[in-house]
Amino acid sequence: MDGGVFANLMHGFSVALQPSVLAYAFAGCVIGTLVGMLPGLGPLAGISLLLPATFGLNPIIAIVLLAGVYYGAMYGGSTTSILMRIPGEAASVMTCIDGYAMTQRGRAGPALAIAAIGSFVAGTLSVVALMFLAPTLASFALRFGPPEYTGLLLMGLFVLAYMSGGSMLKTLAMAAVGLLLGMIGIDAMSGYTRFSYDVIELADGIGIVPVAVGLFGLSEILLTAGQPTPPAIQRPTLRQLIPSLEEIKLSVGPISRGSLIGFLIGIIPGSAHIISSFVSYGIERRMSTHPERFGKGAIEGVAGPESANNSAATGAFVPMLALGIPTGPITAVMLAAIMVHGISPGPMLITQQPDLFWGFVASMYVGNVVLLILNLPLVGLFVYLLRIPYSYLYPAILCFCILGVYSVSNSVVDVWIMLGMGAFGYVLRKTGFEPAPIALGLILSPMLELSVRQSLAMSGGSYGIFFERPIAITMFAAAGVLILLGLKPLLFKRKDWREKVGLEDQV
Amino acid sequence: MQQTGGASRGLRSDVVAGVVLMLIALLAGWQNRAYPVGTLAEPGPGYMPLMIAGALGVFGLLIALRAGTSPLFNAVDWSEGRRGIVMLIACGVAVLALERIGYRLSMTALLVFMLGVVERKRPVPTLLVAFGFAFLSYYLFASLLKVQLPHGPWGL
Repeated sequence: MDGGVFANLMHGFSVALQPSVLAYAFAGCVIGTLVGMLPGLGPLAGISLLLPATFGLNPIIAIVLLAGVYYGAMYGGSTTSILMRIPGEAASVMTCIDGYAMTQRGRAGPALAIAAIGSFVAGTLSVVALMFLAPTLASFALRFGPPEYTGLLLMGLFVLAYMSGGSMLKTLAMAAVGLLLGMIGIDAMSGYTRFSYDVIELADGIGIVPVAVGLFGLSEILLTAGQPTPPAIQRPTLRQLIPSLEEIKLSVGPISRGSLIGFLIGIIPGSAHIISSFVSYGIERRMSTHPERFGKGAIEGVAGPESANNSAATGAFVPMLALGIPTGPITAVMLAAIMVHGISPGPMLITQQPDLFWGFVASMYVGNVVLLILNLPLVGLFVYLLRIPYSYLYPAILCFCILGVYSVSNSVVDVWIMLGMGAFGYVLRKTGFEPAPIALGLILSPMLELSVRQSLAMSGGSYGIFFERPIAITMFAAAGVLILLGLKPLLFKRKDWREKVGLEDQV
Repeated sequence: MQQTGGASRGLRSDVVAGVVLMLIALLAGWQNRAYPVGTLAEPGPGYMPLMIAGALGVFGLLIALRAGTSPLFNAVDWSEGRRGIVMLIACGVAVLALERIGYRLSMTALLVFMLGVVERKRPVPTLLVAFGFAFLSYYLFASLLKVQLPHGPWGL
């Protein structure tokens, strides 16, 4: 489709404002807000649950609905973090610290309002960036061959290892476990069935949904079930939501920085929305003239991370739409939702499917407005849900996990995989390992294998092909720099970046 | 997470983790013998699994070697573990039953067990929540959203 960005956007609005698309965007936002609020039922589980229901819809509606759930969960996650100190999903962990401290000081309303406004501003700004960046990146990506894709995928894994803040070795080990899991099933190049042990379902490989729901959803339930009942919940009135002038002033900088940081981190493969909130919190604390206020109810500690995680959620759509590369399990499931309809993701998607791309972009503007309305005036309504005791809630979430995983391919084997991954995720979290790289490794594994083997075949078996092409060598160089930066604290006994930004006593 | 080990002696959690990762790598490498590795110019289906298993083995070894500051394995708090095992077994039984007695009955049974036995809730709320959730979620997903869910006896 020809025409400038704004002409295309107008076309997108003509798609997004169709009543059926609007209705599904609204439904996605409501469901997303709910799943974001419920511990153990994060955006991934929510999207997985809805995935089979989208098979009968047209692809535009399917992706609009699922994207609504994704960024709705980013908004919803802040509510439980601020009011109950329970992160509805992992990206809201940092919001708990100062958000809940504000609640204890009777400032729950402004904390919720700033979280919603920050999310709205970041969400909107990042859609603008997505709108300009994705088509440019897509046309640039036409120059990518197998060596460039290899460089990009490896760089993504190293960025995740470096940014995740924990041990780089442990993150890389978990990514390797994920890559190994991705080897299960039919080899696309030779037709060999690997590691399937005569289980027919394994011949298709291990799906991302059972692995991710097990590692994130089920393991969270295993960790939290049986914990003491949380304290009574405050329900702020509309008037109590209005922040003071000083709180607004203090939030402007963190919201702007959070939007930028979140978007930049979002476009790199990894658990962007989680990492971005950690980085944003650290930066705000470091930049503050009164860092001692952090942890005791600093509004900047709410504004920055909440803006960053929403911005990262949108940033993650850039490589997904422009390159066809999922940056994490959530975008992988969303790609699956459009591939079911025979649409091939990749650099040609934007030109071949303008209705899908621009309709999706426009729907995100609409979704952000819907979420602002849902999360400010209607927050009291959603809070009622939090009054359900967790002892009733988690068995229901458990059933939702089984339902969601089973219904993706009507396979009991998938549910067994989910249960196994749940137990594995629990053990990993208990022993200080982060499960997110497993999911990313699993997603990237087939792409990485194909690009490595094609590159080697192209070069007649020479690894030099990765260092002869400018784009590929740039990416490998970036990966190399990250390895060296990761080794620095090991060699020189320096503090790691998380300690430097002041997170060591918070997480 | 947990306290880091200071002067106390014992097996470190990272030693255990590193050894487990090395064992996984060895197992994958051993199983990979069944697939041709090929040549560098024409890598076979066994090439990438071998490379990744090798990398995993090296990472496992390094994690085990650098385990000095990790917590003692015995000091890791596994207090939720027992409840977790019960939950996983209950889910496993429900999964076995899922395609035999159908979604609604198996989920009702799972919820009755979780609420009535594990959480010790009173019978009336337990039954109301169990039946309500199973039948409402079935109506929402199977009837309205047309998601295929297994049926059991009597069409349930």
